[in-house]
Amino acid sequence: MTKPAPVYVLGGAQTDFARNWSKEGKHFVAAMREATLGALEATRIEPREVETAHVGNFAAELYARQGHVGAFFLEIDPAFSGLPTSRHEAACASGSIALIAASADIEAARYDLACVVGVEQMKTVDSTTGGDILGTAAWYEREAKGIEFPFPKLFGRLGDEYDKRYGLKDEHLAHISAVNYSNAKRNPNAQTRNWFMSESHAQHESKFNQVIGGRIKVSDCSQVTDGSVAIFLASEKFASAWAKRNGKTLADVPRILGWGHHTAPLEFDTKVAESRDNAYVLPHTRQAILDAFKRAGIASTAELSGIETHDCFTTSEYMAIDHFGITKPGESWKAIEEGVIELGGKLPINPSGGLIGAGHPVGATGVRQMLDCHRQITDSAGDYQVEGAKKFAMLNLGGSATTSCVFIVGK
Amino acid sequence: MADNNKVIIIGANGTMGAGAGCVLAGAGYSVTLLARTCEKAALGFADAQNDARAEAIAERLSVGAYDSDLARTVGEAAIVFESLAEDLPLKRQFFELIDNSRRPDTIVASGSSGLSVAEMARGRSDSFRRNFLGVHLFNPPQVIVGTEVIPGPDTDPAVVKGVVAMLTKRLGRKVIVSKDMPAFVGNRVGFKVLNETAQLAAEHGVAFIDYLIGPHTGRAMAPLATVDLVGWDVHKAIVNNVHANCEDEAHESFAMPAYMNAALHKGCLGNKTPERGGFYRRAGKQVFVLDPKTGGHENYQKPAPIEFVEKMKQLHHVGRYGEAMKVLAEARGADAEICRRVVLGYVSYALNRVGEVAASSADVDTIMSYGFNWAPPTAIVDLLGAKNTVAMLEKLKLTVPAVVEQAAARGGRMFSGGILEYGRTFVG
Repeated sequence: MTKPAPVYVLGGAQTDFARNWSKEGKHFVAAMREATLGALEATRIEPREVETAHVGNFAAELYARQGHVGAFFLEIDPAFSGLPTSRHEAACASGSIALIAASADIEAARYDLACVVGVEQMKTVDSTTGGDILGTAAWYEREAKGIEFPFPKLFGRLGDEYDKRYGLKDEHLAHISAVNYSNAKRNPNAQTRNWFMSESHAQHESKFNQVIGGRIKVSDCSQVTDGSVAIFLASEKFASAWAKRNGKTLADVPRILGWGHHTAPLEFDTKVAESRDNAYVLPHTRQAILDAFKRAGIASTAELSGIETHDCFTTSEYMAIDHFGITKPGESWKAIEEGVIELGGKLPINPSGGLIGAGHPVGATGVRQMLDCHRQITDSAGDYQVEGAKKFAMLNLGGSATTSCVFIVGK
Repeated sequence: MADNNKVIIIGANGTMGAGAGCVLAGAGYSVTLLARTCEKAALGFADAQNDARAEAIAERLSVGAYDSDLARTVGEAAIVFESLAEDLPLKRQFFELIDNSRRPDTIVASGSSGLSVAEMARGRSDSFRRNFLGVHLFNPPQVIVGTEVIPGPDTDPAVVKGVVAMLTKRLGRKVIVSKDMPAFVGNRVGFKVLNETAQLAAEHGVAFIDYLIGPHTGRAMAPLATVDLVGWDVHKAIVNNVHANCEDEAHESFAMPAYMNAALHKGCLGNKTPERGGFYRRAGKQVFVLDPKTGGHENYQKPAPIEFVEKMKQLHHVGRYGEAMKVLAEARGADAEICRRVVLGYVSYALNRVGEVAASSADVDTIMSYGFNWAPPTAIVDLLGAKNTVAMLEKLKLTVPAVVEQAAARGGRMFSGGILEYGRTFVG
């Protein structure tokens, strides 16, 4: 395989994930517009310089009865008229698929500057309807139809599978939750930045922390979030000129060092059956990580400064810890107990607060993770900066870890 | 500041006291909620748990009564937060008790929304006055993060700096430092607009004014509905205080409308008196609206759509805020003139406070945006264009604030942020 042309990450912007766009009386295009105009301003890129746009969105048809989401990019600025746009969908990994598609455009030298926008407006429906819509990220007919809140139950079973194979204590899951909420307090765009959370609240079932399904309580869940994120990916040619005009050199600009993309069977039971004799519960996710490491030329997480991972539930972060190879399979709890994953720890996970703390506007999450990797590498993450960050990884999952996308970002 | 984590809330059974308790305990402080009796303090305890949506916050909360616990707990506290009713003699009486029990480095903060910090501290010890200041939170404090810090004449600047840092960093608040003038910055500017709309409702009707000057003019909630939420008693206290103690270009806008005084007399306090209501009264699904002319509540009827208002709402709906403001600027007719007068009046009055009660236009923006959820005045100037804003202000015979004049001469933008910072304040 020949080495493809490098893909540079110029930066971007996101909406405040605490906002409720339905309460503001707004269509999701308003969120796309704010994020993209914010990204143009943050990067000092002119609208006429954008050559293509890739939009990540999960279910606008169901949340807002609107398809053809890619075409909404043209509503942002008159200069975008005629641009080639597309919309990408892979459930909660939609944003990453948009990033991969935009990267491919740059690698193939089709375009020099791509805008990637992730967007989801989820607060258009009540929580039960929303839970049902999210069920379409599983095999709906078999795993979600007629089931209230199917996804917490599926990820509860991921915890159960760990318990069966290696043993799992819920107190470790509670700690993951507490760390994410605590990090989110440092993130000015995090949905939960003003919410109360403590380890003891996360540990116990109570009136305000009810069980949603199996071992999953409210505190183990990511949020229902409205939001949009926009980011620019560029070729070496564009990135060089852009760096120069902003008083930087190409070496200052982060790029995608490696990526991995694997799809596992849609049904959770099939995944688990397939991995029965494997040390990793989700081998396809593990493989996506290894592929990204290989492409980035890194041997292990020892070369990373931090990770933004897909904590749609505490169990998925628990899984990410051993699948990244931070511990041996089944020993994620060791990294939790040793404080490895905390801000200031050996390998901070989700300094932004992740999906639990920062929020999870489904189709925008992958793009948000990429933006946070960029912030870390450019030392612009403010109060949640990992000191001296050189290389950051992100893992974005779709469905019950059906689609796994990994990126390594660095200079 | 004393080197411990202990905070005492005085008046913890009120909404603001319990809310402050929730915010402080959420940030890791060990909070004692004090009220006249332990039973009353327990009400604040339950409210704080509900506000936090977490029973576990109880681990950081305790309750007590003034008679049995005030002297002891104040003696151990790093911070005392006073959240009593807006009653100067009552507050002064408590500050005397606190002065007698506090450690020399205990910070005492008053949550008053507009009483004079200097007056509250008068007669207290030197050490008390050095460590005393206003910390004005907005309701509900666990949701609205805008906060004003108001130093008194003797407050130690290091105390101000420390409290601002603590509010910003540890509590995640958006903080400005305001001068010790009636209603400070937020309520002075906010209630000027709210009372002006209440005055306009006398002639044009409540439902019409709330529609005409609704969320599309850059506010989370229609103005008269906001007064119902705040409470008419609070509204009256604030506007009367400013009317009596401030002589400025909008003096008459602070005159409480006669029909409001009459309704207040009958016990209409807004949402807190659901049976009597305020501008609105709800009975099941039915909504009634006050007729300022008769003083009675009539069936609510949705006002007939006005073209420019509907256009603005449609543009906000798709995130085109600048174009919406252009529609406002160019709309013809008497209704548009009223709407422009209120919106431009807000810009004029708010930015004319710079150098008076507010230190900068950025501070005015912060408190209106994060305390009221209203569009930052300088963002409105930017959307209209500074030169155009000056022309509109002159045409309406409204004061052109110096900072707007300078911006028009200089060119460029006034608002420090971008669309991501002000977008939420325009509602479709």
